[in-house]
Amino acid sequence: MRAVPKSYPIAFLIAFLAVLPLSVLFTLASDTSGLFDTHNLRVLGNTMALVGLTIVGAVVLGVPLALLTTYVKMPLQRFWLVLLAAPLAMPSYIGAFTMYFALGPGGEIENLLGIPTPSIGGLWGTAIVMSLYTYPFVMLTTRASLLSLDGSLVSAARTLGMSLPASLAHVVLPRIMRSVGAGALLAALYALSDFGTPAILRLDTFTRVIFVEYNAFGLSQAAMLSIQLLVIVALVLFVESTIKGGTERPGKQLWLWPKPWQRYVMLLCSLPVVLMAIVLPLSIFLVWLIREGAGDFDVSYAINSAYASLLAAIAAVVLAIPVAHAAISGRAGRLMERITYFGFGVPGIVMGTALVYVGLKLPFLYQTLGLLVIAYVLRFLPLAVGSVRTTAERLDPSLVKAARLLGASPGEAFRRITLPLTYRGMVAGAALVFLEVMRELPATLMLGPTGFETLATYMWRVYEAGYFGMAAIPGLLLVFLSGIGLMIMLTGEGGNRLKLNEE
Amino acid sequence: MQRRTFLQSFAAAGALAALPLGMSKSLAAQQDAVSVKDLPALKGDLTLYLGRGEGGLYEKVLDAIRQRNPGLNLQIRRGATAALANTIVAEAQAGVRRADLFWAVDTGSIGMITDAGLAKPLPDDLTAQLQPGFQYPLWSPVTGRVRTLPYNTDRLTADKIPDNIMALADSNLDIGWAPAYASFQSFLTAMRILEGEKATLDWLKGVNKHAKNYAGELGVVMAVERGEVDVGLANHYYTLRLKAGKPDASVDLAFTNADAGCLVNASGILSLTTDELTFNFMRYLLSAEVQAYLSSEAYEIPLVRGIKSPTGLPDLSSLNPPDLDLRKLADLRPTLNLMRKAGVL
Repeated sequence: MRAVPKSYPIAFLIAFLAVLPLSVLFTLASDTSGLFDTHNLRVLGNTMALVGLTIVGAVVLGVPLALLTTYVKMPLQRFWLVLLAAPLAMPSYIGAFTMYFALGPGGEIENLLGIPTPSIGGLWGTAIVMSLYTYPFVMLTTRASLLSLDGSLVSAARTLGMSLPASLAHVVLPRIMRSVGAGALLAALYALSDFGTPAILRLDTFTRVIFVEYNAFGLSQAAMLSIQLLVIVALVLFVESTIKGGTERPGKQLWLWPKPWQRYVMLLCSLPVVLMAIVLPLSIFLVWLIREGAGDFDVSYAINSAYASLLAAIAAVVLAIPVAHAAISGRAGRLMERITYFGFGVPGIVMGTALVYVGLKLPFLYQTLGLLVIAYVLRFLPLAVGSVRTTAERLDPSLVKAARLLGASPGEAFRRITLPLTYRGMVAGAALVFLEVMRELPATLMLGPTGFETLATYMWRVYEAGYFGMAAIPGLLLVFLSGIGLMIMLTGEGGNRLKLNEE
Repeated sequence: MQRRTFLQSFAAAGALAALPLGMSKSLAAQQDAVSVKDLPALKGDLTLYLGRGEGGLYEKVLDAIRQRNPGLNLQIRRGATAALANTIVAEAQAGVRRADLFWAVDTGSIGMITDAGLAKPLPDDLTAQLQPGFQYPLWSPVTGRVRTLPYNTDRLTADKIPDNIMALADSNLDIGWAPAYASFQSFLTAMRILEGEKATLDWLKGVNKHAKNYAGELGVVMAVERGEVDVGLANHYYTLRLKAGKPDASVDLAFTNADAGCLVNASGILSLTTDELTFNFMRYLLSAEVQAYLSSEAYEIPLVRGIKSPTGLPDLSSLNPPDLDLRKLADLRPTLNLMRKAGVL
């Protein structure tokens, strides 16, 4: 009989906490009688198609960009990385809305530049927008595992006569499949739970049905539908868990030194992504800003955003470590880890309401920053867990055993072996949580301290009122602050790399 | 800067002098809107749940009230109306009360709270200020909005648009609508109550044949202006605001007659306590200055007596809205079932 892994009790507690809001959903749904409406089958098809296309789009954009930002030596390395990760901080409904009004006949682009553009909408349009705002999930998780791959294997393959693309495809790609899968899973769950983007681009998805019920004062119906959505979440989780990965010895990082023109071609190819996801929405807002004038904007909104996001990022990573280790230790731990993912697939407004019920059980915490951070962590824990797990599970366990054999205590082995080798996963996880919290809206509105205003809530306010010009400044700040936050976290990543690669 | 002058004059209580002459006269009558000058100063802690995402103008009103009442500690929680209504119900179930006031964008949320027995009765003098038909014991309308038919002026003239909403189904006009939008669903609920389920279902099916869906009614109005459709179904203020920013916009408003198509709905406020402070705060929102400001700047329809309708909109008395208890509009479920049956949701 083997001993229970040490991470299990803590992971169990965290999984239990993550399930609490979901159990509230079941209580809320108990009022409703109708189980499944055949009408929902139609939207189910749309939803699955959107999820599938979003996965494809996020992977097609995310993996090459991860290779580019990780392996290719170029000037302003970190700047490009931050810029390419920034779409994650932009609320996707803002992107969808501005793209809808920029493109198409009579759109802003045609009005201002006279260039006719096709209009965006429907399944394909929604999938494109969704991919643009979720590919950083894939990019950051993939990058974290690329960084801890041993680059000498690629060098060996090339020495043996394999071309670079072939060695990337046959040597690197199979070894990062788990990370790509982890990122794609997050993109899929985001596509499942997002409401604004499909609504604006006129695609009828499951979340829209939930939203209609919720707004028609059918909280129990909305909860019931969210539970049905959890079945899809479970399916996606199952598919992702079948992706296999191996363990890996850490080693020297691979660097590619392309000729300057090759570098510029690569950067040029990645530019459209940034143009569409970041530059276009902000330019449209700037046009409206010039047309309508700015509103009153308070710097404290930006500070609130950054502060809450930072707290949530740190807390999420700290809690993700035991969950990720439990996931590697055994089947029960794997189950606990999977449970923490469910909250991310439920539409924010329903999850927010469930968390209000949970929060009211702790009146001293209700409507405090503390509860808000807890809510963020419960919702976005999977972002951190996925990154930490994928770097941790490729770690060769014999390294820890060797350290123990040489007399290190479990604590010391963790500190000196496991931690440095999984550090990048933690940084990537923290970055994902940070960016996602920056754009989070429903939980912030429902659970934050009364009067607590962030960039995302301010943008929502002016957007709702139709004063789009006022969204320009908070939009710019959102991108700028996310950049700074990422910069700080990535500096930590760099410092660690130096130590590891000294030979 | 009109907005800034409002703030300053309000703070200095000189706003009355800045108001048009006719209005200052009408303020003299007792049952008419009260000036902020005659209202008691607000003192103490007050938490408002504001169920609307409005930036800008509502902010200005709330800021002005804060400035005028330094002793008032006003905390505001914003959110989607239905989300805040659900929060208030959840709080009540847990025996916690954080909100003193709930200001909702639609009467449906108001109905949800009054049905839960959480709203406290209002003083008579407060409800007496409101126009006939808008006086309710448990909540007070703040401003109104009327259902309109915005149409593209390049493609249509007003006489081509039926003045009966039911006739729209048999017309050959391209129609833009936002079926998932709360205001649309309220309008359809009114139609269901006024015309019956069968007629509403037929209407939905008829319009659906030549309608295009949009996420919100601002989107509808913008689509009408862009010429994507001939005519839309939307609240009046989106068109007026669009025209304020773009005076040459090719969109204008048409109205139907005495049916759901020209329903006047309202945003409403209710009190969750019997504290005099919350009632006085409501009195500020119903004051002549605030109502006139919301009318001239936000293009909302003032519902207290003696304040002008916004420019670009016919006076409330010349419109012919249907007679209906607005709280009945909270009964959305049968409406949604009809919409599903017709395949529009």
